[in-house]
Amino acid sequence: MEKFKIQTEKLNAWFGNNHVLKDLSINIKENEATAIIGPSGCGKSTFIRCLNRMHELVPGAKSSGVVLLDNANVYARGIDPVTVRRRVGMVFQKPNPFPTMSVYDNVAAGLKLNGIRDHQKLDRAVKRSLELAFLWDEVKTQLDKSGTSLSGGQQQRLCIARALAVEPEVILMDEPCSALDPIATAKIEELIASLKDQYTVVIVTHNMQQAARVSDSTAFLYLGQLIEYGETTQLFENPTEELTERYLTGKFG
Amino acid sequence: MDIGLERLRNMVLDMADLSENTVSTSIDAYVQGKDLRERIYGWSEQLRMLQDEVSELAVELIARYQPVASDLRFIKSCMEVAYGFSRFGRYAHDISDVFGIFGDLSKCDKTTIEQAGDQAKNMIRVSIKAFTERNVELAGNLKKMDDVVDNTYLDFVRKSASNPLGDLKCTVSGTLILRYLERIADHATYVGESVLYIVSGERTARR
Repeated sequence: MEKFKIQTEKLNAWFGNNHVLKDLSINIKENEATAIIGPSGCGKSTFIRCLNRMHELVPGAKSSGVVLLDNANVYARGIDPVTVRRRVGMVFQKPNPFPTMSVYDNVAAGLKLNGIRDHQKLDRAVKRSLELAFLWDEVKTQLDKSGTSLSGGQQQRLCIARALAVEPEVILMDEPCSALDPIATAKIEELIASLKDQYTVVIVTHNMQQAARVSDSTAFLYLGQLIEYGETTQLFENPTEELTERYLTGKFG
Repeated sequence: MDIGLERLRNMVLDMADLSENTVSTSIDAYVQGKDLRERIYGWSEQLRMLQDEVSELAVELIARYQPVASDLRFIKSCMEVAYGFSRFGRYAHDISDVFGIFGDLSKCDKTTIEQAGDQAKNMIRVSIKAFTERNVELAGNLKKMDDVVDNTYLDFVRKSASNPLGDLKCTVSGTLILRYLERIADHATYVGESVLYIVSGERTARR
């Protein structure tokens, strides 16, 4: 039976007085890739930033409603947001390896922050994470080199490896390929497909074809509201809502 | 992409006109005992080439614009409908070839074939109108119309089988032509199914 990894109930978000997410309720399936699409400013990034409590880091930002991770509300009193972010990792639009750190240290940083000092354990975790991110073969001889010396695509996979090192359960990706060329994009997309076996992936993308290629389910957001959510094939071939149809066929947005 | 879709639609409509004319001419030629094989072959070849052009444009639109939703359904359906129209041409050519195989068939009773031919021609007209207007109701009528042609064909075969003393030339030529008409009617029904798919996304299981 399919299991929901994340469920939101009447999720609302604001930046100051700007109400950017409106009563968004959605069930995200475990071990699937879910794409979030919609025109600029529709609340896609805000939505995923609410899922791991990153939204509240922005001054003046607030949210209301429920976000359940394995049926437990991540906004409940007493829940440590740092723990939530460890379970729900994030990869950003622009690759952002720690500039002063080597490839190895970039991946090990999160583990070291969590108090792991055992070198063998760190070595194993770094290798495993880089393998999972399809990067190991390309960097195994240059682990001491600066993370920023890698190509853009490699840097983005390094960031994914960094997110994977702390063994999250969910990976949020906010337009992870928008700064990458088609070959680097293809590698990330292949990676997303393989990550689904172990993780739940939520990807925000402006590229509808990318959403169609990588995701199992797709959610279409417009003006902060969830307009349509369903199986990707169905949504792209035969959307139920007129608004989705118009967006997908380029009639607006 | 809108310009491309309009071009695709116009190409399919050109095929519609030509295929309707090709089938009508071949049925009329059979009924009137005229040998129009060359002309009909030329038209059926033209339909085949047009079908290739439709496929090429459809693939180009997919490659360039990666269409989705109703645009994607329309393009997919245009390819299917264009294939249907090219089959109309092919069966029309087969009908005209019957003259080449059997020669003079003026002594045969052509009433059944005339009736089935009228029904097939009517189905082609309805399928084209349904496609042009994206009319689901008209498209839905085609299934019932198809049953009439199917039954006419089967009745003719059964009757012929139970009457071994009938004129063999008339029986075989009539069976062949009814079979071609039955296939034409099937393809007209498929055009109707494509219309339903364009409008609603609903797929019909092929019988």
